[in-house]
Amino acid sequence: MRADNPPGADGGHADEDRLTAADAAERVGASVSTLRRWASLGLFPTHDIANGWGPGAIAQARSLVKLRERGYSIEQLQQATEEGRLVSYSGELVAKVIGERFTLAQAAKQSGLKAAAIEELIAAIGLPSAAIDDIGADDIEMFGYFATAIDAGFPRDALLQAVRVYGQAVSKIADAEVRLVHMHVHEPLLRDGVASSEIAEQMDGITSQLLPLFSPVINHLHRRFLNHFVEQDIVGHMESEPGGGEIGQVRVAIAFADLAGYTQLTEEVGDEEAAGIVERFVANVSQTLPDEARILKTIGDEVMIVCSDAGPLTDWAVGFQILSNERPLPRIGIHYGSVVFRDGDYFGREVNLAARVAARAAAGEVLVTWPVVEMSGRHIEFERIGEVQLKGFTQATELFLADLADESN
Amino acid sequence: MAAEFDSVEQFRAVIDRAMELMSEDPEMGPKLRDADVPQRFEFDDVDLVVNTRAAREGEPGNLYWEWSDDVDWEPKVQLTMSSEVANRYFQGKENVPVAIARRRIKAGGDVKSALALIPITKPVYGLYRSMLEAEYPQLVV
Repeated sequence: MRADNPPGADGGHADEDRLTAADAAERVGASVSTLRRWASLGLFPTHDIANGWGPGAIAQARSLVKLRERGYSIEQLQQATEEGRLVSYSGELVAKVIGERFTLAQAAKQSGLKAAAIEELIAAIGLPSAAIDDIGADDIEMFGYFATAIDAGFPRDALLQAVRVYGQAVSKIADAEVRLVHMHVHEPLLRDGVASSEIAEQMDGITSQLLPLFSPVINHLHRRFLNHFVEQDIVGHMESEPGGGEIGQVRVAIAFADLAGYTQLTEEVGDEEAAGIVERFVANVSQTLPDEARILKTIGDEVMIVCSDAGPLTDWAVGFQILSNERPLPRIGIHYGSVVFRDGDYFGREVNLAARVAARAAAGEVLVTWPVVEMSGRHIEFERIGEVQLKGFTQATELFLADLADESN
Repeated sequence: MAAEFDSVEQFRAVIDRAMELMSEDPEMGPKLRDADVPQRFEFDDVDLVVNTRAAREGEPGNLYWEWSDDVDWEPKVQLTMSSEVANRYFQGKENVPVAIARRRIKAGGDVKSALALIPITKPVYGLYRSMLEAEYPQLVV
């Protein structure tokens, strides 16, 4: 619990939003004497422990505890601090490590969710299990929102799926933000031999300026994407047959696209250049997809695309291949079928089939299955390849090579 | 319903405005100049051809274009489309790969360069649409 007017790290008094040494020690899982010794060795920024333990120092102490557990000596940590390799992030960025903590029972009582439901939610979000012992007021507020959603009749299973998607997406965002700051700010400063005090100052300045921008940008993008997908949903309702299919199943066109010979290219040009080629390929796909389609995910040089309609997706694939005339050429496979939608992803036999179709395509080709042929326009010509035994499937699949139809047709 | 130009002269005036928007935009203009991709646009229904290239030293703006095939440079990319498709394209209503597959746009030459220009020229959609709303509202699609 936070003290109203407690003594600080130096034996003085803690400001508001700062912890006493005893509270800080409890929060990070180290003894008071250990924290004080680390402080005397200069392992924390002076300003962050001047009047109590600030959020930056608490976060730094947690990192130090983890590093000690991994076997780093105090001397190694001291040297890393002196070299500017161990810098604390802005206190604002990690401010939520400060503040009152609540037990699971208290969180359940205040949020209106059962303790078991909170545990289930924390697991679904993807937070480490230790998060159960580190529940703050913001967490309780969030649990309250989930309680409201359940009270409003939103199915529990759907809520858990949504929460899993939030957790995966937001953790990916946070991971990318920290990595990008590390690679493009911290590392260059280290390489330039900048003094550790200046590195700490610059890191603090940059992260404290960036923080206020993150949340509004994410909120704005969330709204933009919601608008887009609401429109897509309305169109999809109009175009699909009413009452068909089971709950949780959707009929979609799925495309997998990758760069043929990418592994060999990596050997030839090196990882950095190959990564740049993939980045341009994914950007080209993203910039040119029709409105009905979107990239679901990328894995290395492979892109998974979903689209409500196989027609425009096949048109895009054929047009995209015409526009791609330089090695490494893309190869694209498309299939249409009923898939399970869960946790923001698509699963099932038809997804696997689409992936296998793409794997059979050669550089520059668009390979499709019969349901795709049926949904496509006459401007596309399909050459029958034949019944092909795809890996992992007991039955052969009829495959077709898609291309522009002859103009005279 | 397709938005139609009143005349060939009007079409040429509107496309001139689109070129000006791209050439003078502080974001797009320098990027297009640096990309240095000479393009030949053929508008087959109105029997017009415009050749574009990056502006050379001393020329105003970032792009230079002539409504002729009699130019002293070779196009790297050739795109053929109707005036209606061109109007839709500049409003961001024509997806290039899909339009190629549906033969609404025919692409030739170093088409990979055309692919690279797509993200650069995307800002023109909003600018062109605003220009149409102000000056040629009947052409908004």
